Amino acid sequence: MPDRTHMDREREKLDRDLLDMGTRVEEQIEKARRAMRELDAELAREVKEGDRAVDALQIALGDRVAVVIATQAPVAQDVRELIAALKMADNLERAGDHAVHLAKAVKKFAEEPPFRQVERLDRMAAAGSAMVRGAVDAYLARDPQAARRVAAMDDAIDGEHKALVEEVLTLMRERPEQAERAAKLLSTSGFLERLGDHVTNACEAVVFMVEGRHVDLNE
Amino acid sequence: MPPAVKISVRDLDLWYGSVQALRKVGADIASRSITALIGPSGCGKSTFLRTLNRMNDLIEGVRVEGVVEYEGSSIFAPGADVIELRKRIGMVFQKPNPFPMSVYDNVAYGPRIHGSPSRRAADRRALDEIVERSLEQAALLEEVKDRLHKPALGLSGGQQQRLCIARVLAVEPDVLLMDEPTSALDPISTSKIENLLEELKKRYTIVIVTHNMQQAGRVSDAVGFFLHGELVEYAPTKEVFFNPKDKRTEAYISGRFG
Repeated sequence: MPDRTHMDREREKLDRDLLDMGTRVEEQIEKARRAMRELDAELAREVKEGDRAVDALQIALGDRVAVVIATQAPVAQDVRELIAALKMADNLERAGDHAVHLAKAVKKFAEEPPFRQVERLDRMAAAGSAMVRGAVDAYLARDPQAARRVAAMDDAIDGEHKALVEEVLTLMRERPEQAERAAKLLSTSGFLERLGDHVTNACEAVVFMVEGRHVDLNE
Repeated sequence: MPPAVKISVRDLDLWYGSVQALRKVGADIASRSITALIGPSGCGKSTFLRTLNRMNDLIEGVRVEGVVEYEGSSIFAPGADVIELRKRIGMVFQKPNPFPMSVYDNVAYGPRIHGSPSRRAADRRALDEIVERSLEQAALLEEVKDRLHKPALGLSGGQQQRLCIARVLAVEPDVLLMDEPTSALDPISTSKIENLLEELKKRYTIVIVTHNMQQAGRVSDAVGFFLHGELVEYAPTKEVFFNPKDKRTEAYISGRFG
């Protein structure tokens, strides 16, 4: 293919935008993890504020895609890439929201007594962060197999979530006075479980972009 | 139920002298649908179009092998009536080419020389009806009803092209072949013709050659992509534009060559 088209240049910009967005979301999750481990309320506040930048990137990317569609009339893989970019950005934005949920829980978990389940939350968030990086890499490499491998990482998050729910139910029965704080464990774990699902959706967008078909990687 | 096949082409080869312009082309063209033929200049799409009503017979040194069936009968069969074939399968050209006569006479020309659709055509009233119906179907009647007996060459380019479509419709064809019918027209006229095609496909089978990818995407039901005389890909339009099977199709429709 001899010539670089206008679309090729747009693609490079979109790739940069998505890389930027993915990096920020990953940083947000990592920062929320650290805030959780170190019970650092200031760091947690930074995560909450950092979400605005993620949202702004998503909106800017959506606008860019709209202009490309309106002016370039893209077809075939070009148009699928644009749709996939939108889906990637939407799901990354949602993943970023869940980093905020994790940060917001820090205050509750800072109270006594400490919950050992926080370690499970940390493992879930670590997996989620790795998935975000993997999904963006798969997008940039146009690699559906890599996307499938990343989506498979969600099983670990789901496993942690299930185990945590069991443990917390026991905890609530045995120490009803801790039920309110324990409920925060449940909801936070639920958010991190959703984070994994959103990155899985992003992986599905990569498969769709390259292979032109819809797959369900969330099984 | 799959749509009925109007024209069936198999293993079609065509040479201009020693130059092969079509290579083993095969396609079933569905009845009452719009098929768009796309591809870079010289790829064979117009040659293919002209083969369907044997317009290529008029060119010196053309040799054809293979099968083209219209409603199940070979158009190359000995004794096939070429005049009748061209009446059934009409052609609209790139540049509007009205005859230097009135709007009315342009449309009435075919029925008069064919003596069709029946002897009643000789009857003035019947001819009036054919002209009116044809102009109506070509979405031109409203614009020219007060100037039917004025020169056709006084119409705008877009009106002239719709007049040429009306002229073809007047002989009651079944298939319309169109060779880049809007490439000489402005966007408004192009849009009128495209809307017209949507209407016409309810009654007619349409095959259109176009260099305008968006037009192919907008109006057609199926797309055939030609390259170096081969029909590289022939599939429903949404498949070709959303997920083409052949990398060459993808490159061409994405504007990466041609």
